[in-house]
Amino acid sequence: MAMKIYKHDKSREYFERAAKVVPSGVYGHLGPAEGCMIPVSSFPLFGASAKGSHFVDVDGNDYIDYMCAYGPNVLGYCDEEVDAAAIEQSKIANCTTSPSIKMIELAELMVDTVASADWAFFAKNGNDVTTAAVMAARAHTHKKKLIFINGFYHGVAPWTQKVDYPGIIPEDVSNNLYVDWNDFEALEKLVAANEGEIAAFISTPYLHGNFADNQLPADGYWQKVRKLCTDKGIVLIVDDVRCGFRLDLAGSDHYYGFEADLICFCKALANGWNVSCLCGKEFIKSSMSALSYTGSYWLSAVPFAAAIVCINKLKKLDAPKLFREKGLKLTDGFRAAAKNNGFDLVVSGEPALFYLRTANDDSLFLHQDWVQECVRRGIFITNHHNHFINAALTDEDINRSIEIAEDAFKAVKKKHPEL
Amino acid sequence: MTDTKTLAYINMYAVLGTLENLCELVPEAAGVLKGKKPVSIGLEVKGGPAATLYFKNGKCRMEQGADKCDIKLPFSSPEKFNGLIDGTVTPIPSKGFTKIKFLLNEFTQLTNILTKYMRPEPEALEDEEFFKASTSLMLYTITVAVAQIANNDEIGKFSANHIVDGDIAILIKDGPGTTLRVKDHRVLAIKKPSENPRAVMEFDSMRLARDLFDGNVNAVACIGNGSIRMGGMISMIDNLNRLLDRVALYLA
Repeated sequence: MAMKIYKHDKSREYFERAAKVVPSGVYGHLGPAEGCMIPVSSFPLFGASAKGSHFVDVDGNDYIDYMCAYGPNVLGYCDEEVDAAAIEQSKIANCTTSPSIKMIELAELMVDTVASADWAFFAKNGNDVTTAAVMAARAHTHKKKLIFINGFYHGVAPWTQKVDYPGIIPEDVSNNLYVDWNDFEALEKLVAANEGEIAAFISTPYLHGNFADNQLPADGYWQKVRKLCTDKGIVLIVDDVRCGFRLDLAGSDHYYGFEADLICFCKALANGWNVSCLCGKEFIKSSMSALSYTGSYWLSAVPFAAAIVCINKLKKLDAPKLFREKGLKLTDGFRAAAKNNGFDLVVSGEPALFYLRTANDDSLFLHQDWVQECVRRGIFITNHHNHFINAALTDEDINRSIEIAEDAFKAVKKKHPEL
Repeated sequence: MTDTKTLAYINMYAVLGTLENLCELVPEAAGVLKGKKPVSIGLEVKGGPAATLYFKNGKCRMEQGADKCDIKLPFSSPEKFNGLIDGTVTPIPSKGFTKIKFLLNEFTQLTNILTKYMRPEPEALEDEEFFKASTSLMLYTITVAVAQIANNDEIGKFSANHIVDGDIAILIKDGPGTTLRVKDHRVLAIKKPSENPRAVMEFDSMRLARDLFDGNVNAVACIGNGSIRMGGMISMIDNLNRLLDRVALYLA
């Protein structure tokens, strides 16, 4: 029987309504432009409900979701244990003049969980804690320059953007230096050329940039980087906002066999409840204490309560192992579905955060077509970004996803008989 | 946040270069050249661009370099050349004094017509033919300006350094199309659509293209409502949009 092809009429209606009062209708990574929804008519623009590994859009279409709200859905949407803890805490206190002791409990849990952590500092978004990390590094070293990996993403604050982005002035990024991923020789040269001026090296644990196959660290890369940073007094910041707790509950630096000086977490902390966390080593704690850096909701107790339950549940499930197994099973199935239909689907990055590219052309046109055919049949994937596995994903979901992937490849093949 | 040298390249290739298309699309412009002997004007900017405009059989063609021309206009700096375009500098030929009449008459008429189409009065745009020609000319000018910014402007070069090799097709549905060909982070503008693009940005209508060029609508919002279609290597489109932002700065 032919698969049902989704329509998004109500999404369009809501989008038109939104566009009248919200810049670009839906902005940022959840919106159609930055979300690379190609063509936009094939994608849902507003969700109605979500549970486990699925969400339902405003047109009533059900999706097996591999974007997981771009990461925060780690245990499954509306996890009953996490949400119960949040609701219970909300009855007691949330955003108060004196913070709840839930802050201490979560900080103790983070320090006990994350291998390189001696302390924990909380905020709301990944950007809050990457910014805190850079400020702490500068406060500690009294140096101004930062080294980034080409293809990086560390948030949206001006220092994380590029000189040609709207709203950015050259001075915002004038202390930013860039080097290619895995190119340790180039990094050494860059450090030598800026001797005594570098505050921090900031990087994700592996290169999970957009529009390109994701790249894992070369053997010994991180260990060499660690030594160089130590030798030169450069603060080593790991931006684990995306990978954090999906590879290793002790931190992705632990997973790759080194220790960060500062490590940033966010997405997987509280299963969608808003909290981010910067962990660091003892030597930089006083510099962190000195920062003038805070926010109205940063010490709210509800997300802390949710995070405590979420992290403990991730531990109980041995979630990173689960994510790897599910990711491998899914992507092996996707690859086979592609091969059955004459397509070469390249899977890169870690299985828990797999990245997909159809390699039959060099332009992504075919890949974009396959992705939209998948979305129209009920699996939400993207054509430009890594994906996310959540713990609620079932074997049934995976099998259904592979069926959809196969049917979508058949649909693309029909349009391209030359392949 | 602009520089005079980049502006000189834009003025040469994107503004004066659009005379090529003006003579094709606007009968009034072709009429200025009707029955006239072939003539060429070389413009040479010290420390900047050099190009020659060839006028022949009612058409105009621009080529790189100013060595072979009937009338030569040297400019001692990009600032002086930019002054020609904004009307504050009167050029003095170093060659072709016997043909200076063309410069004073026909060439001036052509640049006046170009200005009429590039900076139109609102009521002029109510005429459908004028609207189409004006919008098409803007597309050509903007495309060439993008290439000049990518190759010369410091921030533009930063954007170009993030663009992979290949063709970006800029298309207007039921209208003209252009290509930006990228090779080793240098960008070449081609005033026709690519046959094998690696990325595509297509505007739904001439009206939409016009509104975008005039800054009345935003590209991100248009992608959301589907009136701009994008496809292929979106990173190329992403960086193209950053270059387009700078076009507005230079051509404002």
